Amino acid sequence: MKRPGLFNEELLYECYQCARCTGSCPAAFAVDGFNPRNILLTYLRLGIEAVITDEKLWCCTTCHVCEDRCPQLIDVADLLCSLMNEAAMQGHIPEKVRASAEMILRTGRALLVSRRVDSIREKLGLKPLPEVPMEEVEGILDQTGMAVLIG
Amino acid sequence: MRYAFFPGCMMPVKYPGHESATRIIAEMLGIELVDMPFSCCSAPTLLRLVHYESWLALAARNLALAEQEGLNILTVCNGCANTLKEAALVLRNDPALKKKVNEVLKPWGKEFTGEIEVKHLLDVLRDDVGVEAIRSKTEKTFSFRIGIHYGCHLFRPPRIMYPDRLSPSKHFLPTQMDEILDATGMNPVQYNRRLLCCGSGLGTKVDLDAANQITREKLSHMADKDVQAICVGCPSCFEQFDRGQVILNRKENCDYKMPVFYITQLLGLAFGVPEEKLGFDQHRTKVTALLDGGGR
Amino acid sequence: MAKKGKADRQDKVARRATAENGPRIGVYVCHCGLNIDGSLDCEEVAKYASSLEGVVLAKDSMYTCSDAGQEQIKSDIREHNLNRVVVASCTPRLHEPTFRAACVEAGLNAYLFEMANIREHCSWVHLHDRQGATEKAKDLVKMSVARARLLQPQVETEVPITPRALVVGGGVAGIQAALDLADAGYKVYLVEKEASIGGRMAQIDKTFPTMDCSICILAPKMSEVGRHPNIELMTLSEVESVDGYIGNFHVRVKKKPRYVTDDCTYCGDCIKDCPQHMPNEFDCGLSTRRAIYSPFAQAVPATYLIDMDSCMNKHGIVACDRCYQACQHKCIDFSQQEEILDLDVGTIIVCTGSDVYDPTPLTELGYRRFPNVITSLEFERLINAGGPTGGNLIRPSDKTVPKSVGFLQCIGSRSKRSNPYCSNICCMNTIKDALLIREHWPDTKIYVFYMDIRAFGKGFEDLLMRARREGVVFIRGIPGEILQDDNSYSLKLIGENTLLSKLYEYEVDMVILSVGIEPRKDSAVVKRLLSLPSMADGFFMEAHPKLRPVDTPTGGIFLAGCAEGPKDIKDSVTQASAAASRANILMAKGKVTVEAITARIDPERCTGCGLCARVCPYGAILVDEETKVATVVEAACTGCGACCPECNFGAITMRHFEDHQILAQIDALAESDAGGKILAFCCNWCSYAGADFSGVSRIQYPAEVRIVRTMCSGRVDPKFVEYAFAKGIAAVLVSGCHIGDCHYINANSQTEKRVQRLWRKMARLGLNKERLRLAWISAAEGMRFSQEISALKEIVEKITPEEIEKGIEAFAPKRLPKGEHPDEATRPV
Repeated sequence: MKRPGLFNEELLYECYQCARCTGSCPAAFAVDGFNPRNILLTYLRLGIEAVITDEKLWCCTTCHVCEDRCPQLIDVADLLCSLMNEAAMQGHIPEKVRASAEMILRTGRALLVSRRVDSIREKLGLKPLPEVPMEEVEGILDQTGMAVLIG
Repeated sequence: MRYAFFPGCMMPVKYPGHESATRIIAEMLGIELVDMPFSCCSAPTLLRLVHYESWLALAARNLALAEQEGLNILTVCNGCANTLKEAALVLRNDPALKKKVNEVLKPWGKEFTGEIEVKHLLDVLRDDVGVEAIRSKTEKTFSFRIGIHYGCHLFRPPRIMYPDRLSPSKHFLPTQMDEILDATGMNPVQYNRRLLCCGSGLGTKVDLDAANQITREKLSHMADKDVQAICVGCPSCFEQFDRGQVILNRKENCDYKMPVFYITQLLGLAFGVPEEKLGFDQHRTKVTALLDGGGR
Repeated sequence: MAKKGKADRQDKVARRATAENGPRIGVYVCHCGLNIDGSLDCEEVAKYASSLEGVVLAKDSMYTCSDAGQEQIKSDIREHNLNRVVVASCTPRLHEPTFRAACVEAGLNAYLFEMANIREHCSWVHLHDRQGATEKAKDLVKMSVARARLLQPQVETEVPITPRALVVGGGVAGIQAALDLADAGYKVYLVEKEASIGGRMAQIDKTFPTMDCSICILAPKMSEVGRHPNIELMTLSEVESVDGYIGNFHVRVKKKPRYVTDDCTYCGDCIKDCPQHMPNEFDCGLSTRRAIYSPFAQAVPATYLIDMDSCMNKHGIVACDRCYQACQHKCIDFSQQEEILDLDVGTIIVCTGSDVYDPTPLTELGYRRFPNVITSLEFERLINAGGPTGGNLIRPSDKTVPKSVGFLQCIGSRSKRSNPYCSNICCMNTIKDALLIREHWPDTKIYVFYMDIRAFGKGFEDLLMRARREGVVFIRGIPGEILQDDNSYSLKLIGENTLLSKLYEYEVDMVILSVGIEPRKDSAVVKRLLSLPSMADGFFMEAHPKLRPVDTPTGGIFLAGCAEGPKDIKDSVTQASAAASRANILMAKGKVTVEAITARIDPERCTGCGLCARVCPYGAILVDEETKVATVVEAACTGCGACCPECNFGAITMRHFEDHQILAQIDALAESDAGGKILAFCCNWCSYAGADFSGVSRIQYPAEVRIVRTMCSGRVDPKFVEYAFAKGIAAVLVSGCHIGDCHYINANSQTEKRVQRLWRKMARLGLNKERLRLAWISAAEGMRFSQEISALKEIVEKITPEEIEKGIEAFAPKRLPKGEHPDEATRPV
C-alpha cells in the first residue's frame, strides 16, 4: 500500500519513537486517542487493518508539523495520508469527508456557488465566478477512479 | 507582474470581501490578475486524503490551464499554494508519473510540462513587489498589536514549499507577513506557539469542537501577549479564527475579542482604501470597535 | 622480513637462475581437504600445470599450508633448484605471508612467490559446476604461472625513524599520550591552540561514574606535563604545515605571542585595572574576562596572556598600559611577535578534541531566545565552583535556584537534522548532573526526557539506578516544543509520554539541553595538513575500525580522543595510551621496512610533466623543477599504483605489479575461448576481499570470471582494458573500494575518471559500453560481487562474434604505446 510520491517505507523502520511528532501535534492535543507516533508503530507491527478502521485516523489536520520536527525525516503526515486513502478505498470514510469529495465531483468546487453569493460579489464590484467545465472535471475524475469511490 | 489568479473555493464564496480587497491591492501594486476557469485546487485537507490520484489530476489540470497561457499562478489560500506547489514538484521530479497524469489530461487538450511556478500572495508581495513599494504606498498606520498566524500549509513541509530556503536543521521559518506589516508601520508581536495549526483541517473533516480546542489554545497564547487583532493569509484559517471565537465565546464562556483580518484587508486600510470595499461586514468577529477606538 | 645480507645472496641466486636457466617454477595445487577438491579436480589441475612452459614440477597435496606441506615446498626448492613458486589454494590475503616465509627459509626471495586463489574465488563459488570450476582453476594457475615467470626478486628498504613525537592538542588525550611517550624516554612536542592545556575536561565539574572532581584529577597531570623534562609544551600554537612521511615528518608550528614574558608569577595584579571586558570563552560566555587574562585558575602554563583583538593596543600603538603599570615584575611586553618553529619528528598523534553542538537551529527549543534554556556545557560551568556563579545553580533570568529542571536528551545527536550519530556521553552526563543537583539542591525536582538511556560502561548502570532511586524522574518522550512564560521566564515542555501514551505538559524553571559532540571546527585544518581522511560526520577515520583503532591510514600518524569519535574520559585516556604505544613501537624499532611494492621512476624516460605527482594521495612524488625529473619518496609511497597509468612515457615501474606482469596474466586468460570469459580487476583491500567474502559465504556465481589482483583499483591502466578487448575477451569488470573509503585515501577517484574516459572511447568506436563495468564493492559485499558477475554473464551470453571482432580491431596491438609489448624482457629493478 503506497501512493505514488508519498511516504518512504524504509524510513518508517528508522522511527525510534521519540514522540516529537505526537508532542507537537495539534490533533493529538485536541482529540484523545489520536496519536501519530502510535499509528506509525501500530501500522508497522500490527498491519494496516489495525489502523484504518478507526475513524480517529481522520483527525489529522495535515499541518505537517510532525514531519517538520521528526529527527529521522520521516514523512509522518504522508503516511497518515496514505492510510486515509486506503481507508477510503475500503469504505471507512467519515460522512463529512465523503460529502465534501462528492461536492467536488458534482460541482468542481468545494463550496456551492449560489445566487446569493453572486449578488454579494456583484455588490462588491466583483465579476461572477467563471464556470468550471464540468464535463472535463467529471471526465478526469472518472478516469482516476474517484467517482466509484464516492458513490 | 502578471499572474494567473487562483482564488480557490473559499474566498470567492465565503469571503468575497477579501477577494475585493486583494484585487484592489494588486492593482495598486502593479500586479495584473488574470482569471481562468480553475476548479477546486483540490484541498490538501480533503481530496488528497481521500484519493491522491484524483487530487493530483485535478491539481495538474489547474496547473496546465495556467501553463497554457504561460502564466505563473498566484494563490490567496495556504491550501491552494500547498496543493499546487506539491503537485508541480511531484510531477517535475517523477517523469513516469507526469506521463501518466498527462495521459489523463490529454482528452481535454491539456498537458503540464512543469514550466510555470506557483506563488502565494505573501511571496509575491514580499519578493516581487518588495517591502519598499509597500512602504511607499502606506498612507495610514495602526498601532494595535497584531498576532500573525501564518498557518501550516504555507510553509510545511519545507522540502516542498521552500526547498531552496531551508535552515541548517531543515526547517523554514516564515517571515513574510512580519516584513510586510513592518513596512506599513504596523505592530506584529510574538506569542507562544505562533506556528501552531489553527485546527481548520480537523474541523472540516471530523469534529469542529475538537478543532476549536486547538483554536482556543492559539487564542489563549495570543491573549497572553495582549494581541488585539489577528492577521492571516488563508481564508480557512480566517474562518477558523473568526467563527471559532464566536463559538468558543458562546459555548465555553470565553471572552475573546480579537478581530481577524486577511492580509490584504490590513494593506487596504494602510493604503487608504475605503472600508466598504474591504468586506468587513462578512466578519463574525466585529472589527468596528478596534478600528474606531484605539489603535489608530 | 629478510636481513639485507641474506636478501643479497637470494638475489644473486635468483638472478643467476633467470639469466642462465630461465624460470624454474614449482606449482602446488592444494586440496584443502575437500574444500577445493570437493568441487574441482585438483589432480587434473596439477597435471595441466606441469604442461605449462617453465614449470619443472607440479604437485597436488592435501593441506599445503600445513607444516608438512611447507616442508615439501622448501625441500623442493633446494632439491630442484626452483626459482619461482606458485601455490594454488586459498586467498593470498590469508596465507601469502605463510608461504612467503617458507620460501625465504629455503633461500628464495619472498617476491618470487605467487598464489592462485582457487578456493574463495573458485571451488567455494562454483560448487555445482565441477567442469567449469576445474577449467577456471586451470586458467587461474596458468595466469599465475605467466605472472610468476616475470616476477623479480625485490629488496625491502629500511627507513630510519626520528625518536621524537608531536602531539597535536592538549586535552586529556593529548596530555596522556604526551606523558606516556615522555615517560618512555622520547622527546615530545605538545602543541595546543589555546593558552592552556586541559581541553574539555578542565571545563566540566565532575566526572562519571565516580563523581570525581574533574579538574582535581586532571590538574596533577597537567602539572606533570608542564614540568616534564621530555615535554616541550607549546601553547597558543598551531600546526602550520606538515611535510614528510613516516618516521621523518617536518612540522612548522606557529606560536602566537602571549605579550606576557616568562617572568610572570601568576599574581593577578594586572587584570584588576584592565578596562576591556569580553565574554569569557572558558565559561561559554556566561561571565566576562579582561583583555589580559588567564583561561582558568589551574592553567598550565600558569601565566597570563593578552587577547590582542580586545586590547586597546591592537593597532600597534600602546594606548593603554594599565596592566604593565600594575605589574610588579613588569613582565608585559606589547611588542612580542609570533614565532615560527620548525620541528623534526618521527610520529604524530592527533588529539584535537571536540566542540559541542549549537542547538540554535532547533528553533522549537528556544535556545538563545529563552534565557533559562541552556546547554549541558553551560550547566557544567554553572555548577563548577570555579565557574561564573561560584558553583551555584541559578537561573540566568533572575539568579534564583530553580525549583524544577528538565534535561532534554539527544539534542543534536541521532538526528538527520543535526548529527546522525550517538554522542556517547550525553546520557551519563545527564545522570551525573542530576545526581549533583540532588546532592546540593535536594528540593529541586528533576525530569529527564529521553528516547533511550545508554549506560553501557563500567559503573554506568549503577549510577543510573542510583539516580532513579533518588527520585530523578525519567520520562520517555522528547518534548515537541518549549514555551516560555514571559513573566516568570519559566518554561513549559509539551510532549508525549510514550510509555503511557499520554500527552504531558511540564512546567520547569530551567531546561538543560543535553547537546551532542562534534569534531572541533578547526580540525578541518589539521585534516588537510596531514591528509587524513574523515568520515561523513567529520571525525577522523581510523585505519581499521576493529583491528587498528588508533592508527590512521598514513603511517606514523595516530589518533586519540574525541578527534576519532565521541567518547568519555576513560576511553580517551585509553586511546591515548594506545596511540602512544603504537608510536613507541615505531620509534623503539628505530626503523621501518617498506614493503617492496613501491613505485620507481626511470629518470631517463621521465620528462618531469608532473601528472603522476598530481594524483598521488600521499604526495610521495616530487618533481625537480630544474632537472625536470620526478622521484618517488620511497618511504611515503604505499604502492597504490595510481601514478603509473598517468605516465605517457612508460617511466614508472610498480614493483611486483608491473605492467607486463599484468598483461601476461591477461594473455594467459585470453589464450583459449576469450570470447566466453570475464576479466575482473579487484583491489586487494575491498573488492578482492569482497569476492573472498562471496566465497566464504558460499554465494554462487557464474564461472566465467577470472580475477586479476592489484593493490588498488587506481593501478588499473586503461591500456589493460583495451588489451583485454584486443585479445577478444568478452567483458571486463573494474572494481575497487567505495568512493570515500579507498584504502589509499582517494586513489579510486582516478579509477572512476579513467573508466569514464574508456566508456567515451568505446562509444566513439561503436563498441557496446556494457562490456566494461565499474563497481565499488566493499569487503563485506560478497552478494554485490556475485551480482556484478551475474550481470556480466548476461553480456557474455548475448555477445556476438562481430562485437568481439570489432573490439579486437579497435584496440589492436598497434595502438599500444611504444615499448609496452607484453613480451618485452624483464626490466631492470
